[in-house]
Amino acid sequence: MHGFISQISLPSLLQQILVGLSRTTILFIVASGLSLVLGVLRIPNLAHGSFYMIGAFLTYSVAAAVGGKAGFWVAMVAAPIGVALISLVMERGLFCHLYDREHLMLLLFTFSFTLVFGDLVKIIWGSDFRSVSIPPVFQGSLSIFGLPLPRYNLFLLVIGPLVALGLWILTQKTKIGKIARAAAVDREMVGAVGINVSLVFSAVFVIGCFLAGLGGALVAPTQNITQGMDHSIIMEAFLIVIVGGLGNIWGALLGALIFGLTDAVGILLWPQFAIVFPYAVVVTILMFRPRGLLKSTW
Amino acid sequence: MLKVEKLQKSFDGFMAVADANLEVSKGEVVAVIGPNGAGKTTLFHLITGQVSPDSGHIFFKGQDIAGLAPYQICRKGICRSYQVVNIFKRMTVFENVQVALMSFLKMTLNVMTPARKLLIKETLDILESVGLAEKSNQISGSLSHGDQKVLEIAIALGNRPELLILDEPTAGMSPEETAMALGLMNRLSGKLGLTILFCEHDMELVFSIAERIMVMQLGKTLIQSTPDLVKSCRQVQEAYLGGGYLTDA
Amino acid sequence: MPDQKIDVQKIFWVMGIGLLFLLLPRFLPRFYVYLTALILLTGLLATSLNLVLGFGGMYQFHHAVFYGVGAYSLALMLTKSGLPVWTGFIAAPLISAIVGYIIGLICVRLSKLYFGMLQISLGSLVWAIVFRWYSFTGGDDGIHGIPLPKILSVSHGAYYFTLIITAISLYLMFRIVHSPFGRTFQAIRDNPERCEAIGIHVRRHQLAGEVIAGFFAGIAGTLFVTVEASVFPDLMFWTLSLEILIMCLLGGWFTFFGPMLGAAIMVILRTFVGIYTEYWTLILGIVLMLLIFFMPDGVLGMIQKAGGRGDGVKGNHRL
Repeated sequence: MHGFISQISLPSLLQQILVGLSRTTILFIVASGLSLVLGVLRIPNLAHGSFYMIGAFLTYSVAAAVGGKAGFWVAMVAAPIGVALISLVMERGLFCHLYDREHLMLLLFTFSFTLVFGDLVKIIWGSDFRSVSIPPVFQGSLSIFGLPLPRYNLFLLVIGPLVALGLWILTQKTKIGKIARAAAVDREMVGAVGINVSLVFSAVFVIGCFLAGLGGALVAPTQNITQGMDHSIIMEAFLIVIVGGLGNIWGALLGALIFGLTDAVGILLWPQFAIVFPYAVVVTILMFRPRGLLKSTW
Repeated sequence: MLKVEKLQKSFDGFMAVADANLEVSKGEVVAVIGPNGAGKTTLFHLITGQVSPDSGHIFFKGQDIAGLAPYQICRKGICRSYQVVNIFKRMTVFENVQVALMSFLKMTLNVMTPARKLLIKETLDILESVGLAEKSNQISGSLSHGDQKVLEIAIALGNRPELLILDEPTAGMSPEETAMALGLMNRLSGKLGLTILFCEHDMELVFSIAERIMVMQLGKTLIQSTPDLVKSCRQVQEAYLGGGYLTDA
Repeated sequence: MPDQKIDVQKIFWVMGIGLLFLLLPRFLPRFYVYLTALILLTGLLATSLNLVLGFGGMYQFHHAVFYGVGAYSLALMLTKSGLPVWTGFIAAPLISAIVGYIIGLICVRLSKLYFGMLQISLGSLVWAIVFRWYSFTGGDDGIHGIPLPKILSVSHGAYYFTLIITAISLYLMFRIVHSPFGRTFQAIRDNPERCEAIGIHVRRHQLAGEVIAGFFAGIAGTLFVTVEASVFPDLMFWTLSLEILIMCLLGGWFTFFGPMLGAAIMVILRTFVGIYTEYWTLILGIVLMLLIFFMPDGVLGMIQKAGGRGDGVKGNHRL
């Protein structure tokens, strides 16, 4: 491992950081949805990764079906909504009966969906790689500080803060957000003042899963869409949520930044062990702050 | 034996215990009374280590135990029961008490001896003394509320305490069960010579058994004295809804 | 004394079952003997998880790490070191126990969901290292064709070795569950706060439990190497951890033999469903859903309850 550092030039580091930041965007979107569900409903939703994968596959199918330039944009909207609809059915049909079970049962229950969705995706889309092409607007690169950066990554860099802002408004400024936050702290109390907690939970669950679908849709043009992408994203998202603080949206952002950037730098430093870097950093942080960096909601 | 000095604890700016002072001598039965929210349960939590104090001292046999972990305090000889039933619900009555005894005898890291052959007599003795012996093989979660409260005390006895702290021992009990609990407390202090510190809403019970009474209001100790002096104390009368309450008892 | 009669009956049963397993290779085809060995070691793994999960109430979300560490330790010692073969079999579970100690030390500061999540993070780090360290662990390919001692590679040697080691391990774990430590552990499961109040250092016991569970999971790992002669990173991937959790749930996690039963059902189902369809996980997922809705106490838990041994309280642990 000698001489790794010396090979890295400043421009390549900067470029790598910019690429890392755009990956952070996707991680943040997925993790914030997971965090929302964990914080309010207290469900460690392993099926979140499946929703991400389904989002990506739906994007592929819709983009292919509509075709042309519009295909991409239609897919970007339709895929997350499709995922949200699936999650709505799941929540109303099954989850809402299980809220008072212990976490372990809920975890296993969401895992059963991971298993089922994994095979359903295999049945519907087969086990081949799929890919979505980047729309013409976003093809090519722009020069930032003299460094070439793919336009699509720039697009992601814009989307990320927008989602964060939207979530902030949703949780802090809207009525449903306020109820959800109150319910996260004291469920019975909110129920006692005559608010239908069950509906609020349903809404939060659907929004969380919508974000997973959105993450899947956004990632679709940047990588191969494959089986198994649910398994890797869910672990990453969980680590991000834990390191940031359970249920804390800003924690998810912070965690995603830590994860995405250490990943990006790791690729430069020691490519073979790139995936180890973010895990190691997260674990190191958790040794000192086992409950995460920011205050969790519960 | 126990001496609490200027104890303070606040939660998020709310002063639960502001200035608590308390003295318990060996062999005594001391009651803590006060209106709801006066800080009685917090005081007990502070003494037994579930909550650590912001400032002040708790001396037990001359040693400051403030801020120690609950298991350390228990090993020094202070055991407690809880207001809300706090037992091992999936285990039998026998096992509930046996675990406490094992903890007392430091056997809990023994992995090879079959537990069912251990401490049978000792466990049954304790169950006998509280009157639960014939229910020893029942799952504790299926007992009646009154029996669970008694088991609560039996578990505390497993550690052979010098000072027994009872947090509302008769809460939620029927009149008959309350009478039995009173008898039990009398036996514990008389026969076994235990020092007992307890808090209770049932004034009749308090005045019939307590040798000294400490009155708390808004986290502060108003007075600690004999029942007669407490009854006649003006401040106490005021603390209890303008007075009428105590003379009824 | 009625107790003695039950004991005689018990001994009879144990001997009968032991004899059955010993004679199994005489009348079963090779594949089924292999399958039985797989069931035994998977059952051992599930039982070791249940030690901390069902009897200790700890959210052991990433138990497979200890299994994987045991398997890899043995595999690496057999392929890369010149040490005498059997030292590997002794060292591997000890290494798992040490990993259990380290992970436990970090995790027992927290409880329940936080404990589980922290454990998943730590386990994922171990997995990531193994997954990528091509020069040492073989990376995502793993290590195949591990040279085993001769006695294990002759006919049914691996089966008998697995059978004996599993039986001894189960016996030891049974003793542990019914020891003062086991009792205390169950008390901690039921009510950790109260345990503190009666003088029990809860974290120390949880740490001890973690080490014991890690040790037996490590043994299961060495048995896997014995039976399969190969290792791969999936042995410590989080999905396997959840599958073991399912086995405990399926069999009944407040019972001692439940996880063994759960493991048997899972391994058999997987093998035979796999013949008819490639969508085994779909079926597993549906089974799991039904289980959670209709049978949260597991098969053995249900049987016990129906037999009136549950005394009306959820999750008794007589068996």
